[in-house]
Amino acid sequence: MIARLARYSFALAIGAALGMASALYLAGLWPGMKPLDFGDVEVEGWRSDFAIGSDTADMYTRARVARHGLLALAKSEAVYFTRTTDGEGAPLREECTYRLTVGKMPAGWWSVTLYDDDSLLPMNEDEALSVNQEQETGGEGLVATIAAEKPEGGIWISSRNAGSFDLTLRLYMPDEALLADPEAILKPPVVERLSCAGDTP
Amino acid sequence: MKRWIGPLAALIVAGLAAHWATLTYAPGFIMDRALATLKDRGVALHAFTSPQRISPQTQAVVRSSPDLFYSLCRYDLSDPGPFLVIVMSQWSDYQSLSFFDSNTNNFATIRGSDAQELVMLVGPGEKHSGLVTTIESPTKRGVILIRRLAADEESFASAKQVALNDQCALGQDEPF
Repeated sequence: MIARLARYSFALAIGAALGMASALYLAGLWPGMKPLDFGDVEVEGWRSDFAIGSDTADMYTRARVARHGLLALAKSEAVYFTRTTDGEGAPLREECTYRLTVGKMPAGWWSVTLYDDDSLLPMNEDEALSVNQEQETGGEGLVATIAAEKPEGGIWISSRNAGSFDLTLRLYMPDEALLADPEAILKPPVVERLSCAGDTP
Repeated sequence: MKRWIGPLAALIVAGLAAHWATLTYAPGFIMDRALATLKDRGVALHAFTSPQRISPQTQAVVRSSPDLFYSLCRYDLSDPGPFLVIVMSQWSDYQSLSFFDSNTNNFATIRGSDAQELVMLVGPGEKHSGLVTTIESPTKRGVILIRRLAADEESFASAKQVALNDQCALGQDEPF
């Protein structure tokens, strides 16, 4: 009788642990995962969950967004695209310098913001956390440098104290065409790696 | 081998139940903690609170935008009868009024226009007159958020001034 009870207790404990662990993993809540590095839309390395902020989102998306996109708006008001890698597929990191080129965006207003591995703004006082539409020249987009140190000139996004980081593109008041067919309409910002600390010249 | 069939079935049932429960309750658990954090950071119940400009030092929620002015109001309509009267003042640039329930769902959003917006929020299943724009919250608790585009220091100061006329107040008798 005791052996039977032990078998059932063991099975229940293992089952509960596996069930919880698999839910956390599939919802992108497992420690160390980059939860916004996947979604239901991908355009040239930028990923988005268009179900964000909606009760129509599936259980996995809702759990993931609750943790990493809390208080985000539904897609009719804003869509959020995130990327964690540069144009060559290497993870974005503080030790490297990048060029960010943003063209005309299919939305009423846009911004690109840098977040650290914990989805927080990096702890620095550079006041260079993002770029936005108001910095465009002639309404045709902009070019910015992403680096831990301020560049000689131009627009700067500081990655100081960011470690491994990601970039989030916010598109407020998105065009209907973008929501209908994001892959065809969005020409997303381009992230080029220029150099990394320790590179041989 | 036969004696493991029962425990194996129990393992599968426990696994499925734990999987479902984790996903179902995670948003509510996370929102509960977020509301507690907002309270600790001084966000009032039934009143808009305008935190400082978002910076690495002041951020209270993940993925806050440093280009926006945020104004937050926590609500709790647990007692039957009360409702919230919400006013979003006029702002010359982009602004929105969004409502989030205790499961993190963005159940309503109103985009700002050139005029001030007046909205009534009632609890789940509560009756209302329909004389003003009325929104029913799916849950008793949640948070209301005004976002205003304010990408620089000067715009932020203006937004903060405008926010003085925002309203998120508890009412008992429908005055409309």
